[in-house]
Amino acid sequence: MLGTLAQHGTDTVGDGAAAAGAHVAHAAESIAAATPGAELMLAVPALTLLAAILCGLCAAFRVRSKLPAWLSVGCLGASFVCVLLTYLNLAGEHGAGGIVPRIAHGFEWLTFQWGRGGTGGEGRSFVADFSLYVDSLTCLWMLFVTGLATLIGLYASEYMVGDVKTAGYSRFFAAFNLFVLSMSCLVMADNLVLLYLGWEGVGLCSYLLIGYFYKKPSAVAAAKKAFIMNRIGDLGLSLGLMLTFVHFGTVQFNELWPLIQSYASGATPTPFIVQLIPVLFTVGAFGKSAQIPLYVWLPDAMEGPTPVSALIHAATMVTAGVYLVARFLPIYALSEWALPIVAWGGALTALLAATIGMAQFDIKRIMAYSTVSQLGYMFAGLGVLGSVGAASHVFTHAFFKALLFLACGAVMHGFAGQLDLRKLSGVQKMPGWRIVGLTMLVGCLNLAGFPLITAGFWSKDMILADAFSHPQFRAIGWILLITAGLTAYYTFRVYFRVFMGPKYFEPGDELHAAAHGDDHGEAHDAAGHVTHSAAPHGQHMAAEGALAAKGHAHDHGHADAHGVFHPHPPGWAINLVLTILALATFAAIPLFFIGDHHGWVGDLVHGSSSNPASAAAAHEAAMHGHGPHGGSFLGMDPHAVMYYVSAVVGIIGIGIAFVLHLAGRTTPATSRADALLPALGPIARAAQHKWYVDELYGVLFVTPLRVLSHIFHLIDKLLVDGLVNLFGWLPRGIGSFVRRSQSGVLHDYGLRMASGLAIILLIVLLGVLR
Amino acid sequence: MTGFASAMSALTGAATLTLGQSDFPHPMHQVTLAHYLVLSALLFGIGLIGFITRRNLIIMFLCTELMFQAAGLALIAFSRFHLNHTGETFVIFVLTIAAAEAAMALALVVLLFRRRETLDASAWSELRG
Amino acid sequence: MDLFNPLLLYAGCALGAVGVAVALPRRGINPQVVGGLIAAVAFGLIMLALARSLDHLPTVTFYIFGVIAVGGALRVISHPRPVYSALYFILTILASSGLYLLLSAEFMAFALVIVYAGAILITYLFVIMLATETPTADEVEALAEYDRYSREPIFATATGFVLIAVLGTALAGGRGAGSLTPATRYAAGRHLSELSVRVERSLREAKLIEPGEHIIVNDSLGRPAIDVEGGTILVGRSGAEAGQTEARIIPREQWPADVHLNNTEGVAFSLLSSHPGAIEIAGVILLMAMLGAVVLARKRVDLDEQARAEADRRQLVDPVVGGSS
Repeated sequence: MLGTLAQHGTDTVGDGAAAAGAHVAHAAESIAAATPGAELMLAVPALTLLAAILCGLCAAFRVRSKLPAWLSVGCLGASFVCVLLTYLNLAGEHGAGGIVPRIAHGFEWLTFQWGRGGTGGEGRSFVADFSLYVDSLTCLWMLFVTGLATLIGLYASEYMVGDVKTAGYSRFFAAFNLFVLSMSCLVMADNLVLLYLGWEGVGLCSYLLIGYFYKKPSAVAAAKKAFIMNRIGDLGLSLGLMLTFVHFGTVQFNELWPLIQSYASGATPTPFIVQLIPVLFTVGAFGKSAQIPLYVWLPDAMEGPTPVSALIHAATMVTAGVYLVARFLPIYALSEWALPIVAWGGALTALLAATIGMAQFDIKRIMAYSTVSQLGYMFAGLGVLGSVGAASHVFTHAFFKALLFLACGAVMHGFAGQLDLRKLSGVQKMPGWRIVGLTMLVGCLNLAGFPLITAGFWSKDMILADAFSHPQFRAIGWILLITAGLTAYYTFRVYFRVFMGPKYFEPGDELHAAAHGDDHGEAHDAAGHVTHSAAPHGQHMAAEGALAAKGHAHDHGHADAHGVFHPHPPGWAINLVLTILALATFAAIPLFFIGDHHGWVGDLVHGSSSNPASAAAAHEAAMHGHGPHGGSFLGMDPHAVMYYVSAVVGIIGIGIAFVLHLAGRTTPATSRADALLPALGPIARAAQHKWYVDELYGVLFVTPLRVLSHIFHLIDKLLVDGLVNLFGWLPRGIGSFVRRSQSGVLHDYGLRMASGLAIILLIVLLGVLR
Repeated sequence: MTGFASAMSALTGAATLTLGQSDFPHPMHQVTLAHYLVLSALLFGIGLIGFITRRNLIIMFLCTELMFQAAGLALIAFSRFHLNHTGETFVIFVLTIAAAEAAMALALVVLLFRRRETLDASAWSELRG
Repeated sequence: MDLFNPLLLYAGCALGAVGVAVALPRRGINPQVVGGLIAAVAFGLIMLALARSLDHLPTVTFYIFGVIAVGGALRVISHPRPVYSALYFILTILASSGLYLLLSAEFMAFALVIVYAGAILITYLFVIMLATETPTADEVEALAEYDRYSREPIFATATGFVLIAVLGTALAGGRGAGSLTPATRYAAGRHLSELSVRVERSLREAKLIEPGEHIIVNDSLGRPAIDVEGGTILVGRSGAEAGQTEARIIPREQWPADVHLNNTEGVAFSLLSSHPGAIEIAGVILLMAMLGAVVLARKRVDLDEQARAEADRRQLVDPVVGGSS
């Protein structure tokens, strides 16, 4: 039913509010019928939990092999198959895209009843079961979460091989599986409490995995930073959750939608509380998805192993915020401020992160900033009611950003943790690195939005077009357009400098850091600095371009002297995963041309609670006719011209990168861009220092809190400890005074006893006489 | 002057003191219980003062015996006042305890004296705080 | 004419405190005689305070024994020589036993003299002799320092006499003001009926019953028909029973003087019939005290190091004097 209705819905925002209301009401009815068919989804949490437990057992039984990796990949693959089967099963019912929302009931989790009477009486109840809400949005998210988790698990099985001999390998995969479990809870929750459980669970796993190298101070600091920043956001989400229950009396999605819809007609004014809920949700989403002002944790989170960065901090967990906003788009539409906040927050984050990314030298960090920037894109898309574009971008971004991270990880893995783009050059030309280079190129093209042949181009276009189609969001459109150009520039800056140009490398410091238990191959661990003969793959034959550790060129074959470093090309698992992901980005392109609503993803989004049409209608009703209406890009229909505009912008960015960083470059450390630095002056330096945001936060929040903590410490020391000490000293003082009476001489005791007797008798006598 | 006459008769009553006589002592009704009790209190107080002031251990124990005496006198007086022999019986027990106490205390005093060659109670102040 | 005046009592106590404080041994001038006189005046004042009227002045014997007892006690605590203290304590004991006699407690009076003056005080004297440093040949008998000076005499006497004043005020009021009734009314008198043989012998000696006559035994209770409360003794021919006409009543007026439960008998009845368990306990206590004394006395004790060092030091400084200063 829903599917058909969704198919009938149009993309134009002028669709009637009443139709949207009927639409959702229908959805609720169909859920009430408890359509079966999604029970297979329950296998996902079960399988991942099983894998996590098995990995834990592996750690307990001191398994020192790749067993935990294969267990994890097996379970994750099986859960991906489950999701896929469920989707195919459900999607077949009503044609493309549309899936009737249904609930797979797991078990009764939290059920409270208080007050008198049963249903409908004065008694109230709070129900939050472990049940899965399966609709098309869920399917979309679960498909790429489980799929990417499987691939990245496979990648990690090789990447983490240096830790096989320690408990870290099992620990890594246990946390990895726990993450997928939490993520599936988050995405498939049928109520806000389960969603919150998953939300906290992914935060926990993020913390555990960022701090995987817990002996490294910077990793620990980054883990704490991520966790604390997320706490701020989580506070917003939990407050929103409570407000939801307080106002609507339920936290279950299928009961919430009709209640929310009752405001959508615009007949009754939306209460303040209902307007506040999405704002609070936004705080949570911005925390989890690293948006201004809570974005600073994500770049630091790159301290974790690269697979973690790829899966959690690029592809899946950070899109949880996007998911939250998309899922609750109906309630966002009711609020006057929530959508602008989301839109402007996203757009500004996109621009800011892009400018920072331009000035960084650490390639993983550049990717992190690009993630922040792209997440900003998604939020901007949601904010302008372009949920289809946002979801599409989430989908494509998940693949190409995972691809980019994994390629960077392969470089890092092979060059002993080297990530500085000034110390690497021409990697693609080195033997064994061709696949990495090519897949990196594919990823970069996607990120830069290279026209036509990349999926990233199509999804980015949708957001831009949506932004320009609303007159009040035109500024956002321009910001995003500029950002697109910057993105293309910094993406290809990385590619041109690391993978193209003259061959050169300096190994990273992990060469000498075997004791760190770091995430490079065991080859580097073996003797601390001599690596070649210990490499297991036998693939790291001395490259003709292999250079000495100090950067001196060695053009002969076997450099077997001590102190000579051989780069360590990736093995089959990494190459396989990179290839699959690269192909997947191409495979995603045709998906944009099937279905009725801007592709397959559009169909899925239309079939879910984040239907942009009904949301737009509701928003218009809530804004009393001042909602978004058709805008234009320089007088043209944005949906028609945006393809060309963004293609031009992307190519210009790539071109600038080519001119500045590849053409005529002879040394790895310098480029023509250096010549421009004096002209930019302090701006370049500020961008290099991430616009001093961390320092600003330090001054604004950390320092006052630290001062406050010192004050409290003083209070604790002087007042509280003083009180405690006083109670310790008081008896001692009294005692030292009273002790003098304990002379040890019998007479004194006798005298005191007699005086006491006399006094007591005196008191008794006076009492008797009176 | 009747008071004086009765005082004279009391003197004569004391003169005709005869043991075993049923009406002995005849003018006894002029002596009140309070006389004996206050006398007993005086003895007790003097014993207490002695206990506190004297430093010789033996004298101190003598003073405790003095206080026992005071208690005995009071008990006998009460016994006489209430015409009940239990008070006298109790004095027997007081004597018993006094004897036991004297035996133990004097043995201890001898021990202490052998240890320090002094009877000064102040010499034993190990319990000083 | 009510003479009782608490103020008089308090004045007496204050004066007594001064007297005792003066009499106690101390450094410098020590006018013990003056102190004794003041204490005597104070005693008189206190006794005067107790006399409610001149009618109630007690017998002279009370005064005599009271003065001796209190004076002896005062000497016990004020005499610097322990031996004399013990002897004065015997004086106090004797005076106390005199007071016991006045209170018609003859048995206790003599028991006191025997046990205290005879046994306990002799033990004290033994210990005093045992535990006093024997003066050396060329030395006049010297008093130990701890015997010559008393400790905190002012505070002690003040406290003591406050206590006396309080006790005196409390004890002199209320029923304490009541006169002592004749001693024949002792509650133990009813035990006389258990002494039928003695009573019958007294009656026979007084010719109150003829040969062949006996005190009638009350069949129902199996007791002789001696009614102390009612003051009647039933006598009759042998075989005669109570209530028979041959029975004859001997009223109290005709009883001879020794048909009367004397003090010793009364104490005996009280002790043995009312408190038999207490006697056993007292016996155990005495036995334990004896054992303890034996154990303690057999213990070999050496001078502790401090005292030995002190003794050595004294030997070095003044080998002639030795002992305590």
